Amino acid sequence: MDETFMNPQQPPLGPEASLDLTKAILAHTSGSPCQRLQTLACEYVDGELDQGQASLVRAHLEHCHACSALVTALTEMKRVLPTLAQVDPGPWFTQRILRATLHAPRRDSAFNLRAAWFKLLHRPRIALEIAYLGAAAGMMGLYLPHPTLPEAGSLPAIVRTLSPQHLVQPLLAPAKRVAGAVMQAEKRTSTALKGAFLPKEGLEIQAASGQSRWQLMSYKVLTWLKRAAGSLHSSAKAEEKSSKPANP
Amino acid sequence: MVRTGDELAWEAFVRQFQSRVFGLAYHYTTQAEDARDLAQEVFIRIYENLALIPDEDGCLPWILRITRNACIDHLRRRKARPPLWDLPAEELFDLRSTERNPEDLHFEAARKGLVHRAMQELTDLNREIILLKEIQGLGIEEIAAILGIPVGTVKSRSHRARLELAQALTAVGMGG
Repeated sequence: MDETFMNPQQPPLGPEASLDLTKAILAHTSGSPCQRLQTLACEYVDGELDQGQASLVRAHLEHCHACSALVTALTEMKRVLPTLAQVDPGPWFTQRILRATLHAPRRDSAFNLRAAWFKLLHRPRIALEIAYLGAAAGMMGLYLPHPTLPEAGSLPAIVRTLSPQHLVQPLLAPAKRVAGAVMQAEKRTSTALKGAFLPKEGLEIQAASGQSRWQLMSYKVLTWLKRAAGSLHSSAKAEEKSSKPANP
Repeated sequence: MVRTGDELAWEAFVRQFQSRVFGLAYHYTTQAEDARDLAQEVFIRIYENLALIPDEDGCLPWILRITRNACIDHLRRRKARPPLWDLPAEELFDLRSTERNPEDLHFEAARKGLVHRAMQELTDLNREIILLKEIQGLGIEEIAAILGIPVGTVKSRSHRARLELAQALTAVGMGG
């Protein structure tokens, strides 16, 4: 007869073999209990588990080194983290605050306005926004229908001498400059973004991988502006040609 | 009394909350000088709105909310995540430690440095939840209001954030 059967006091398996057997059984049945322990670990450390569940967790921790390390780290965190709430800023900090508040001169609205204007001008996208507004204003000046002038007799002489051509002509040169600046900005941005996009037909753009919405939008805006600037440039050239006197 | 602008009350107010404000700013920026500038900015904003200071219970969450918003604005302006860099234990200005033994002080500071470094491994939202809940001790509803996310999200994220941080700490040898 088998000796272990004759002597039930002697365990049939060593501790390591027993552990391996437990793992093998769990792997074929409920799966690893470590994941279940992870869902309970925070509550266990906070003392929020009922007695039954707490004793099951403790029993698992006796046999699982990884989970035991995790619970020890959670316990240590619970002790250390609250001590990080207050950090001494240094000996002169209070005086610095009092100087900046109690003893500072009162700001008037003009100062605030200046500071706000300074802040506005130093925003990162301000150059692009100014170029866009300038191009849009130039195009509006050229392509929007001009209001019909009232009767000649009711206007001052200087206005009577103005024609739509006189109103639009001064806008051409700055519009050309803005269009040129926009095209240059677009070239620079295109070179930088080239690697990230797979351009399709027309304006369809597909990001190669997770590019930000801002990059996609700015590429679309710049491509549109390039087209608008291109047509502005060619119409300005046509205007110039037509205004030059014919060669004798 | 601080709402009336009384200078002594204001000084007491600053001394009461400066470590909290600086601590939160420091954990967001990881740069002591940036944290001081931000903390000063926060106190100036508070000073310019003294009449809005809430009652005692709501005061700390209100101040931490202003601090957090200032830190987020600063990080956006800097356009960078807080970089992961070796944090010497001496960088943590913690003079409130009750440890008297210099060796224990150094050990404690090193532990805190380890935790601070491990926090930089977390996602932004998880790190904020750890900062506001586990470190600053705010309630779940207050955190949900500050971050603009549902209460349920804060609860579930809080557990995940703690596990994530514990795993990061276990990886560097804390625990076990």
